Amino acid sequence: MTDKVIEKFAAHRELGPLLLLIILGALFYVMNPAFLSVLNLSNMLGFIPEIGIIALGMTLLLTGGEFDLSVGALFGFTPVLMFILRNEGIMSIELAFFVVMAIAALIGFTNGILVTKVGISSFLVTIGMQLVVRGSGLYISNGFPQSSWQTRSPIKTALAYKIGFPDSFFQIVVSLFWFLALVAVGYYVLNHTRFGNWIMATGGNEDAARARGIKTDRVKIILFVITAVLAGFAGVIDAFRIRSAYPVSGTGYELEVIAMTVIGGTSLFGGRGTILGTVLGVLLLRTIRNGIVVVGVPGLAYNIFVGLTILAMMGIHAYLEKQSGGVS
Amino acid sequence: MTEELVRMEDIVKSFGKVQALKGVDMEVHNKEIVGLVGDNGAGKSTLIKILSGALSPTSGKIWFEEERVSFQGTNDGIKAGIETVYQDAALVGQLSVARNLFLGREPLKKNALLPSLDKQYMDEQAVKLLQQVGLTTIDPSAKVNNLSGGQRQSIAIARGMFFRAKLIILDEPTNNLGVEESRNVLSFVMETKERGHSSIFITHNIRHIYQVADRIVVLRDGKKVGDLTKEETTMEEIEEMITGIEVLNA
Repeated sequence: MTDKVIEKFAAHRELGPLLLLIILGALFYVMNPAFLSVLNLSNMLGFIPEIGIIALGMTLLLTGGEFDLSVGALFGFTPVLMFILRNEGIMSIELAFFVVMAIAALIGFTNGILVTKVGISSFLVTIGMQLVVRGSGLYISNGFPQSSWQTRSPIKTALAYKIGFPDSFFQIVVSLFWFLALVAVGYYVLNHTRFGNWIMATGGNEDAARARGIKTDRVKIILFVITAVLAGFAGVIDAFRIRSAYPVSGTGYELEVIAMTVIGGTSLFGGRGTILGTVLGVLLLRTIRNGIVVVGVPGLAYNIFVGLTILAMMGIHAYLEKQSGGVS
Repeated sequence: MTEELVRMEDIVKSFGKVQALKGVDMEVHNKEIVGLVGDNGAGKSTLIKILSGALSPTSGKIWFEEERVSFQGTNDGIKAGIETVYQDAALVGQLSVARNLFLGREPLKKNALLPSLDKQYMDEQAVKLLQQVGLTTIDPSAKVNNLSGGQRQSIAIARGMFFRAKLIILDEPTNNLGVEESRNVLSFVMETKERGHSSIFITHNIRHIYQVADRIVVLRDGKKVGDLTKEETTMEEIEEMITGIEVLNA
């Protein structure tokens, strides 16, 4: 009986974080019903799509056996550059959007080339890239936030329009739909396409994948590009939503996003990834961050809880891995 | 003698200043099991990587089915009909048997809105394949990590047969296997021949090669020092050729 339960949890890594999410959600609600108030929920739903979009890219990349520590820097840099291009009158905001997306793609491509063709570990490459990108954002902005409050553009509407509800504080940012659409795309790609199979094979046993004729370097480069573009895209959404782009915005997101992804059941060592798990990981960590504040845990103590949750989930995943006779 | 499947002529491969292969000739005929033996660093792996397309030779010529070929990567080799089963890189542990079977050749659903893997077909074919090769206890949706070493090797070899490879290259398939498992894999290798495939069997274990090979090719220091049918030689003689001890005795 217990064996069956363990098997079930091992086969469906999403069950652990789902269970924890439900338990914690109920706990926070009992301790303070304001946790599920419309205001609190719409606050949470404002930011979740942004960090969630970064996490989707990271999920694919981790499944492919690499990771990217420059996503937080890209999250900050991309919108800063976009607003500078517009505020300095160099180009329209629409054009600037596509230009900075292309630059984000180029940064991801550079990461990919350095990792696969030059052969430097992704830890070193992306930590270097993080400094370059973060430094560039600070330099071109002189460290000042770039305001966009007067910007009106179809791009802004498409990414960060706030849908209000009459007689209620509840509002939805359209970025939520972007997130949901990207979740669907990510799920489809990872589980139902050839490319998804190649991602898992590349991360699981690169030599075996290569022996089957899979161009594993190309797979990884594409994943680095996707990850960088999604991180930049999330940064742009964030800047439109809060009407400012801060050059230091996104600091530390890389580790938070990796934690969310791994909590959801994606392996840090490649080969196993779950998009739905990542969605749950994102919800779980944001719920904890929000919930412990709502229930009155002192703000300075809250990283303790976040850290403990990460450790607990990692312990559970490691246990399941052993029980299912899986990878070391 | 049966028809020729592969002919490699004067293959040289240098890595910087190191010459891993110093002009090796080798043939494989149809429905033949060739044992390729040699000490560590003799050049066995380099030779088969060149044959499979994973490496390009510095110089030398290769014919496959009497046609001059020059593979630009493993894909070319696979397309021509060469399957390589590497000892540690045969299968992806995290993927199911069915996904491994079709890795790199995934079938897509017909008439689907978006190009999607035909998982039903993959599972059906996996069951069929496992039955054919007598591995009926394996569930096609099982993760490869949960299988034994012998089962993995058998599945990897079976995959080559399934895709009608003309030549299956086996890189130390019995390494790290127990006695019973080795025996299963060896009988499996014999079966490839019965089904009309040729294979190259690389190993350290002369006893294993002697059980299954029709002909044995010995490499030492990047050169071919022996090429004998099993009837022409003994295990002792092969061992001497591998180590070069007879040179010292002479």
